[in-house]
Amino acid sequence: MCTCFIVPRDILTKLSQDPRLPPDIRKAAADTARVAQEIRDLRIQALRLTSIATMIQAPVTAIAAAPAITVFDCGHTQSLPGRPISGPQAGDDSAKRAFDETTQVAKFYKDVFGRNSIDNAGMTMMSSIHYGNRFNNAMWNGTQMLYGDGDNAIFVDFTLGNDVIGHELTHGVTQHSLQLEYTDDAGGLNESLSDCFGSMFRQWEKGQDAAAADWLIGSDIIGPSARDRNITCLRDMADPAGAHCLAPQPTQYSQITPGMDPHYSSGPPNLAFYTACKTLGGKSWEKIGQVWYRVMTTFGPSPRMKIPEFANRTRQVAGQMFGGTPDVGDAIEQGWSAVGLSRSEGAAIA
Amino acid sequence: MERLQIERLGGLAGFGGPGSRIKSKGEVGMSDLSAADQRAVADLFDNKTPIPPPKPDAFRYRITRQTAQGTQAIEVPEDVVPPALRNSVKDTLE
Ligand SMILES: [Zn+2]
Repeated sequence: MCTCFIVPRDILTKLSQDPRLPPDIRKAAADTARVAQEIRDLRIQALRLTSIATMIQAPVTAIAAAPAITVFDCGHTQSLPGRPISGPQAGDDSAKRAFDETTQVAKFYKDVFGRNSIDNAGMTMMSSIHYGNRFNNAMWNGTQMLYGDGDNAIFVDFTLGNDVIGHELTHGVTQHSLQLEYTDDAGGLNESLSDCFGSMFRQWEKGQDAAAADWLIGSDIIGPSARDRNITCLRDMADPAGAHCLAPQPTQYSQITPGMDPHYSSGPPNLAFYTACKTLGGKSWEKIGQVWYRVMTTFGPSPRMKIPEFANRTRQVAGQMFGGTPDVGDAIEQGWSAVGLSRSEGAAIA
Repeated sequence: MERLQIERLGGLAGFGGPGSRIKSKGEVGMSDLSAADQRAVADLFDNKTPIPPPKPDAFRYRITRQTAQGTQAIEVPEDVVPPALRNSVKDTLE
């Protein structure tokens, strides 16, 4: 079963009751119908919460409890959400990592940014592990995280990457804040925010400053056959075009073309963030990360946002938050200059 | 026999993009597919299948076929691609 239900529920129900079909097919149809309804209900709930939480964010944040963390086991199928796992002690390493690191991401957002879960209203953080058969991917499907086991050649288990877990959860945060679409500039920003906060989360867990961090994305999920070819990461925020990346990216805003996959157009904003953090020094989440978070969460939805507009908002917020510390604004200016979006270049594009 | 070329794109790792070291391709014969899958493929090419908005890090599939009019290609999200097509591709490093 896929995450979008192309077979209507009444047809699935009919199939599940059709005596001409073998019992296993009937059971699969019944299971699919039941899960489809649950996922549909969750989607409706998530959409409702997205709009309500955006309208009355502050009071909701104040009253909401800390988020529940739930993990389900897909048992190597693509049936969602899968079998519930009782807790991190259940004896499955992937489950333990999903519980522990999701809990840590919740703590990171709470302690560092004062955010209560994905929607800032205590939304349950739900993950399904062992999704698919040797599935080489992890994703946020609009309501929950999914993690594949990897094929043990190009990739290993996707829950092994704490930055991967931070990346996927941040897609949820973006959905409940800027609500960026997933194409063109907005798609590149959407991907970049997930890499920035995924990397910051990894640095925060390790207590690293910007100079000590490796700025790699997905270095812990690279499998043996990729390592044999000197591939060490999916992406490198400090060197997006590096040959050690599984998917080298552009480094200049001028290289971004319409329709480009968001995992490529995120290269320039990733490099801008890295350059700003490295130039300023110290811990990425303490100042530059705070500016990025404010831009992400205080302007309301901006689904078609362009990268130069995002850059301008970081300048504006840096002035508001750190007006007395010009180093912060200067570092951010260096960041955008590194990708061809200095103040004057940005103005020329607009 | 009509052949479909399938390529898996996107995902967290940015499969199949410019400069990507990971490619994922496969091929299936139309006649090897079930009647339901053949119909699903025809509907995709005829634009009859509702296409949901893209989800972060989800795979997309480029499906190509040869017709009397020439080569025809579509790019669609994983959600609407029959498993027989999805499972035909193999991830390889270049
Ligand atoms: Zn992503």
